[in-house]
Amino acid sequence: MRRNTLFFAVVLLALALVAWAGWVNFKARSKGCRLAAGQQSAMAVQGKPAPPFTLEDLSGKKVSLADYKGKAVMINFWATWCTPCAIETPWLVELRNQYAAQGFEVLGISADDLDRGDPARLDAEKQGIARFVRKMQIPYPVLIDGDSISQPYGGLDVLPTSFFVDRNGNLVAEQDGVTSKEEIEGKIKKALGE
Amino acid sequence: MATKKGIRIAVVLALISGAVLFQGQSSLMNRSGRSGSTPPAVEYLYPEQVTLPAGKPSTVALHFRVAPGLHINSHTPREEELIPTTFSIPEGSGVRLDGASYPHGTEFALSMDPKTKFSVYTGEFVIMARIVATVGNHLVEGRLHYQACENNSCMPPKTITVAIDVIGK
Repeated sequence: MRRNTLFFAVVLLALALVAWAGWVNFKARSKGCRLAAGQQSAMAVQGKPAPPFTLEDLSGKKVSLADYKGKAVMINFWATWCTPCAIETPWLVELRNQYAAQGFEVLGISADDLDRGDPARLDAEKQGIARFVRKMQIPYPVLIDGDSISQPYGGLDVLPTSFFVDRNGNLVAEQDGVTSKEEIEGKIKKALGE
Repeated sequence: MATKKGIRIAVVLALISGAVLFQGQSSLMNRSGRSGSTPPAVEYLYPEQVTLPAGKPSTVALHFRVAPGLHINSHTPREEELIPTTFSIPEGSGVRLDGASYPHGTEFALSMDPKTKFSVYTGEFVIMARIVATVGNHLVEGRLHYQACENNSCMPPKTITVAIDVIGK
């Protein structure tokens, strides 16, 4: 009788262990691969130099990250088809205007596809980006062809994605998706060294 | 006797649970971090094979499913900038797309901007494709082009293959 009780207790304990393992596994998976990836990526970029890049703005002028040496920079990847980007952009405009005097700049980088081989389509695509810039009254530089420089930044699985660069050119924070104006402001302050 | 057997069973179950737990954790750790790690937002469900009268337009209901928590633009999104969901069949496959009827989108708003309404597909949706097949067996690789978002972020536009074995008789 006593042996049987012990036997069932051991089996129950083992089953409980299996259930616990399953639950822990489920919870870990349900956090989603994007979140896990984003966190790892964020941890991976901290303190590293921001990958250098040069892109054109809508007028064809070449703009480099190196042009902003000594400034804190927010590199904001977005696209015209990205509805959450349209929510975030007015916050960026306000924060850029608020912190510009302290040496802060936003570089908006459009990830919209560009048909370089089709001048008519390319023109229409540029016009679409320009329409977004006008509608949002964006005062900071907006660069195009963001996909071409996205790999050193880990690729663009989601938009908006932003990277925060300190005055020494090092990455200090990252953000995937829209969170809140307050969270972005916190990361801007970190980039400014406040 | 029973105790020894019980301990053996418990040890085996503990090892299995440990392996299950380790597998779950390591699959997260092994993710590449970013690009390429996310599964497609839309999955083609069925049919895998259809038999149609050759040379005559026939309607085939193509069933798709959008992953939970995501939405894609309908075929007629409300904003000009948004990318519509479209189905196509490449030329030269022995099957021609004569037209397609798309479902109406459902109204959707992001929680951060509840006033702006979008027309989207979520869950399962069906595209009625009108296709014309020549005589014979054709392995068609149709294409569904879409752009998916969740509540606070969007994924780049994507095209998935819609594989259908079309038999024209």
